[in-house]
Amino acid sequence: MADSKEGIDPIQVLTDELKNEDVQLRLNSLRQISTIAQAIGQERTRNELVPFLAEATDDEDEVLLVLAEELGNLIEFVGGSEYAHKILQPLQNLASVEETVVREKCVESIVKIARELEEEQIQDYLHPLLKTLSEGEWFTSRSSACGLFAVTYQSVDDKSKAELRKTFAKLCGDETPMVRRAAAQNLASFVPHIELEFLVSEFVPLFTKLSKDEQDNVRLFAVDNCVSLAKVFQTEDETLTHVLPVFKATISDKSWRVRYMASEKFCQFCESLGPELTKQHLVESFVDLLKDYEAEIRTSATLKIAEFCSRIRIFREVIIEKIMPVIKELRNDISDHVKAALASSVTALAPVIGKDDSVKFLVPLYLDLLKEDIPEVKINIVSKLDSVTQVIGIEVLASSILPAIVELTDDRQWRVRMSMIEFIPSLAIQLGVEFFDEKLVELCRTWLMDSVYKIREIAAKNLKRLTESFGTEWFQSTMMPKVVDLLKHKNYLFRQIAMYTFTTLAPELGTEFLTKSVLPEITKLKTDSVANVKMFLAKTLQSLIPYLEENTIQTDVKSCLSELSKSDDNDVKSYANQALSKCS
Amino acid sequence: MQSIINLQTLDQQIDQLLNSRALSEYEIKTLCEKVKEILIKEDNVVTVRSPVTVCGDIHGQFPDLLELFRIAGSCPDTNFLFLGDYVDRGLYSIETVTTMVALKARYPNRITLLRGNHESRQITTVYGFYDECIQKYGSANVWNYFTELFDFLPIGALIDQEIFCIHGGLSPALKTIDQLKKLDRFQEIPNEGLMCDLMWSDPDDRNGWGISPRGAGFTFGKDNTNNFHKANGLTLTARAHQLVMEGFNLCHDGKVVTLFSAPNYCMRCGNKGAIMEVDDQMTKRFLQFETSPETATAIISDEPPEYFL
Repeated sequence: MADSKEGIDPIQVLTDELKNEDVQLRLNSLRQISTIAQAIGQERTRNELVPFLAEATDDEDEVLLVLAEELGNLIEFVGGSEYAHKILQPLQNLASVEETVVREKCVESIVKIARELEEEQIQDYLHPLLKTLSEGEWFTSRSSACGLFAVTYQSVDDKSKAELRKTFAKLCGDETPMVRRAAAQNLASFVPHIELEFLVSEFVPLFTKLSKDEQDNVRLFAVDNCVSLAKVFQTEDETLTHVLPVFKATISDKSWRVRYMASEKFCQFCESLGPELTKQHLVESFVDLLKDYEAEIRTSATLKIAEFCSRIRIFREVIIEKIMPVIKELRNDISDHVKAALASSVTALAPVIGKDDSVKFLVPLYLDLLKEDIPEVKINIVSKLDSVTQVIGIEVLASSILPAIVELTDDRQWRVRMSMIEFIPSLAIQLGVEFFDEKLVELCRTWLMDSVYKIREIAAKNLKRLTESFGTEWFQSTMMPKVVDLLKHKNYLFRQIAMYTFTTLAPELGTEFLTKSVLPEITKLKTDSVANVKMFLAKTLQSLIPYLEENTIQTDVKSCLSELSKSDDNDVKSYANQALSKCS
Repeated sequence: MQSIINLQTLDQQIDQLLNSRALSEYEIKTLCEKVKEILIKEDNVVTVRSPVTVCGDIHGQFPDLLELFRIAGSCPDTNFLFLGDYVDRGLYSIETVTTMVALKARYPNRITLLRGNHESRQITTVYGFYDECIQKYGSANVWNYFTELFDFLPIGALIDQEIFCIHGGLSPALKTIDQLKKLDRFQEIPNEGLMCDLMWSDPDDRNGWGISPRGAGFTFGKDNTNNFHKANGLTLTARAHQLVMEGFNLCHDGKVVTLFSAPNYCMRCGNKGAIMEVDDQMTKRFLQFETSPETATAIISDEPPEYFL
């Protein structure tokens, strides 16, 4: 077979490489399959390469995983969809290996190929493949089979369809839990293809039975299946009779994993039911989840509060009478995670329930939660206060919540301080400069002198935001003296942050102010005793150059920098020289 | 020109490291060579001028090192003095020590790195650094580069002639700091003797020298501290080496401070980390910090490696 005229035969090379002891080498050569296929052409790929790969299933799992994936990419190289079914054989072999990951990848590749196939090819090739797999002796092939029903069913004749439904029913009752799990997992994607006449008669019993399976990892999928079935059923009646009882059962399931799944998918199910039915049948269930004895489930459900309420927002009294009391209970939950979840949930709830109810029910809760000792709780409240402000209005916020927030700007947790400090400028901008009066200036000064570097940095950036809104004059008259004072602080880090403030504000302050008022102050630091300060001065001057008067750059700035460049500290020297090179 | 390019490469490497991406084996090799050249010129006891921020054990807790920089500011704007124990125990010894070494290469005057008892071949093979090198680089090469470099790290530092900085503590064999000048430090940490003591000793409430439960070094009492301080004109000894719940702990009438900068040590101890800011007026301020939120979200494997505590 080897073509001697062309030298080495690519398939022979691949054969040799796949025999190599080094796994990495085998993996690399499998990644090249497409290239090899391209080199030898479509016909040889079909007739030689694919059959060869069909035999190559005796390797380590990680090699097989790559093989399963690469086979799915071969369609164009075997000659397109017309010949795509040729790749099914090696995949069929891989579909029964022991490693789940390989089988899943293999099913994925088969489905990918099946989407390219004509109906006849599905009838002639995929259907028999599915049949063989589902009759496999070992559970592995039967589990793989479960993933192929949805893609096969829609393209086969009625006789085969009947057969497929029967086979699927058999797999749903398989003695191996793994197979039942796969069947349960794939039921959701299968049902949309089933004709309505068979849904109730054949599939509802299967679905109900799986939802009562003894294994919780089978029951787990009942939730997905409920969501899927509720979408498929046309009438409320069918959903209420066949689906709702199963969904409600998952909420009181003895396994927390099932209940967790129910909580995660709760709002999706509500969506398929619509507001009226949700109000009638699911409010109690949701409350049950919020009161679950597992903290993980309470956390998950708590995070869904705003979304759930938005689904039933037209029934205000239900939210106020049924959900609000539980929220109050959750406020004193023993788990920190639940409280943190509650904090982000109740801020998201404000837009849902509107201004009046928010002011009445939520604002006191925010104030209460801001007193919590857990940083996440406080941060979650404050980080979303902007959206709350839009609902309750800035005046209400200022009179009710603001004092609590100002208090928290010296929280001992620096991340809490940071989130408060980041929030205040946007408030100040909305409230106007008069509102804060001297207090804001004093706060800004305190933040610049925080013991944590990140806060000092944010404080400088805050000043920029405030100056953008309140104007340069505000900065000049109120903040400037404070920042100049800071340039003389006994701690070198504060002298640096004062310089950093000017760098940050440069675009707002304007050439004249920078040249006449700022520059003379900062250049005084050229004789500072600390090298870092001189280095920082060089950096600051460099970043101010674009904003300074040209004359001054050539005189004052240059002379300051050349003085610095004579420093005996290498870093000062190098930053000064770098800045000097930008002066001309 | 050559040096400018070097600085640019270093800046780029530091940037990469601070974004939690490791360097290549070759880059580490070059970096270690460069830093050896710097360290060989440093004295056994480095003279450091205030202001400087002093930090204790990091132990491979890289996300917490990043948190430390958020608190203290970063190099070169803030001066740093690290008291050793960069590697072992934590999950990111390589990222941690590479960052330290890269900063040292870029700003030799702004950061001082002392040697801790974990900067040794013997200890790192047991407590995780060796395994991490094998796991992340597939060979012991990186471990070899770093452990060779560790032999060059200085032993102690003296801030403004009054704060003595050392990883472990004092030694009965040590009377004056001058004595340390003669020591040949360019070797693996011995199992006993002066160099070993300096990296292994702990302060104790009892007076006098005691046998250390660690099996290396000694315990030293308030009297030993006082004598040593008197003989050398010191006001404070700053050391690391021991887990302290508040991140810092003063003992011997405030003459010895222990600094520990690995918060929630080994992801289970619940301790704070702390650093000591010494400003231009020699005013000392302790900054405490908690573990970085990134650590909490990092994937924790079900089976911790066996060197975990």
